[in-house]
Amino acid sequence: MAGITLQGVTKAYGSQSVLNDINLDIADGEFLTLVGPSGCGKSTTLRIIAGLETQSTGDVFIDGSIVNETRPSKRDLAMVFQSYALYPHLTVHQNLITPLKLRDLTALERVPLFGHLMPERGKKMSIISSEVQKVAEILKIEPLLDRKPGQLSGGQRQRVALGRAMVRNPAAFLMDEPLSNLDASLRVHMRAELSELHRELKATFIYVTHDQAEALTMSDRIAVMMDGDLLQLGPPDEVYEDPTDIRVAEFIGSPKMNILPAICDEKGSINCLGQKIKVALKDKTKQSLSIGIRPEHLVLQSGAKSSFSGLLTYKENLGSDVFLHLDIGLETQKVVIRTDPQDANSAKIGDKISFGASPNKYLVFDANGKRIDARGRGNS
Amino acid sequence: MQNSKVHYWFIAPALLLMFILLILPVIVAATLSMTDYSLGNSSFNWVGTDNYEKLFSRRSYAKMFSASLTYVLIVVPISVALGLGSALLISSLRIGNELYKAIFFLPVMATLLAMAIVWEFALNPIMGVVNDILRSGCDKRLIYGFFTGSWYGADPLQSWYGAACADRFPIWLGDKRYALGTIAFIGIWQGFGFNMVLYLAGLTSVPRELYQAAHMDGADSAWERFKLVTWPMLGPTHVFVITISSIRSFQVFDTVEALTEGGPSKSTYVMVYAMFEKGVRQNLLGIGSAITIVFLAFVLILTLIQVYFVNRRVHY
Repeated sequence: MAGITLQGVTKAYGSQSVLNDINLDIADGEFLTLVGPSGCGKSTTLRIIAGLETQSTGDVFIDGSIVNETRPSKRDLAMVFQSYALYPHLTVHQNLITPLKLRDLTALERVPLFGHLMPERGKKMSIISSEVQKVAEILKIEPLLDRKPGQLSGGQRQRVALGRAMVRNPAAFLMDEPLSNLDASLRVHMRAELSELHRELKATFIYVTHDQAEALTMSDRIAVMMDGDLLQLGPPDEVYEDPTDIRVAEFIGSPKMNILPAICDEKGSINCLGQKIKVALKDKTKQSLSIGIRPEHLVLQSGAKSSFSGLLTYKENLGSDVFLHLDIGLETQKVVIRTDPQDANSAKIGDKISFGASPNKYLVFDANGKRIDARGRGNS
Repeated sequence: MQNSKVHYWFIAPALLLMFILLILPVIVAATLSMTDYSLGNSSFNWVGTDNYEKLFSRRSYAKMFSASLTYVLIVVPISVALGLGSALLISSLRIGNELYKAIFFLPVMATLLAMAIVWEFALNPIMGVVNDILRSGCDKRLIYGFFTGSWYGADPLQSWYGAACADRFPIWLGDKRYALGTIAFIGIWQGFGFNMVLYLAGLTSVPRELYQAAHMDGADSAWERFKLVTWPMLGPTHVFVITISSIRSFQVFDTVEALTEGGPSKSTYVMVYAMFEKGVRQNLLGIGSAITIVFLAFVLILTLIQVYFVNRRVHY
């Protein structure tokens, strides 16, 4: 069990920079998720922690000691790969004992046939076997021990890969998109199982995913990465409700946050799509802004004065919710409203729909996409 | 469909070609192997299994089998090991691997007959560059000491190199102790580049994540990772490479024909050369066909072994 710290880590391939100054402090026993679109550097970060790649500058600490020069195997970490990376020629049992044999047996004891003559080997192997048995029980893969990976389903391979990580009882688990090769329902099931496993093992988990739903559901904290930068680090609620960057706001949450263009004049009054918005800015200068509103914070209004309106182009019925897609006259942006099925019943494709939101739900971003501190006044 | 015979017409061309080009010659050879037919004769006599009995009883044919098997047993392991070794080294290079690939593959592309003539010059006992180089080491103390073992006190004349320095270096192609080994050496030189290319292709199909998993699991040395990942993952490639090399070595002919003509004293009398000598030179088609059928049986056995391994063992 150990905490992991990254200090000023950068990575560049030639002149191509893939990680810019990553600082992370992961507490002992924490479930931290690195999330971002593909190519954002999250997997590279994980592999630098694992030691499979070397950072260009910066330091990695595990349990307080610097490990820049330490081999992957000596860092006491275990990794679960997206493709599971099980040894296909070995049975599940052999796959599980491989890391233990490599760690606990001497090179001499691993020699075929001859190794069996070494005095300590029998004792060590029986300890190893009981370790493997224990892990197999926890993961319920005992019936599979004699099969080869090729004979297992995706979910079973996933468990074996987890098992191979668990047998060593490592300081931390590194997981590189472990669920993305599973089908949708199994993925949701495994989310819950992984969270439960994390609670049981009380080990540090570092989890890489491009799926914001996985990040939100499992993590203690989320680190949102984009283009090699660590944009925001915080608990799921905070990242969802209080994004500091427009890219984070757009990436986290499904359906995507609505972003509307707005103008602020010298007096500080904000005009968005021809409507005045009751939001006060500290900095009253003339500037262009973006207003972000989550789909669930938009409410349907029938003919109220200060409300937006658009034409309904598509109704997405999920049973429990309905997403209304509205054309508000912007070329690139449609507005999505999340609403109850009863409220959406009467709306028909092509109808003009009025909607609004309470001003304290508006998130204001400046022209560079950074969040501006703004206070909404009362209800619309 | 039941009443229509049109499907026979669709498969007929393929069947016909296969029969004429592949199966018929084998049947003809098998038939001829039971006769004493010679080209030009108007008739022949049935001799039953006489030809086969000769094959398995006469000393010169025993030498033929032993030459072919020895050649295969030398060339296959060494050319496979060299192919794998060079493929591993080349795939670990960052720069220059294209150049090495081209160099090692060059003998495969070259005409072996032309290369054999070059080798004949190089191996000439008097003027050849091989013996020149060996001789030039005799008066260099360091080299002489190293190869004769005299640096640790062994008697230099007891060693191969010391004795050769004192007397003379071998007549590589004219001495029955060396001829087959020399032909095998040329075979290895010519063939391992092909195995290397096959192994390079095999290596690219090993998933990189497996190596990373091996790193994480504690396979710290390159040897451990080779044992845990590379060797088993190359299973299908091994089977293919070994089978192809065995069949190619059984087929060795051009170097023997160009350099030794089966001699000295039949030490390089390999099967395909025997086929050629009996069937073409001496116009004894019966015995030549019998050798061909035995040869086909060897190749068939090798192929069956390959099929067995491919189906059973090496695919995961």
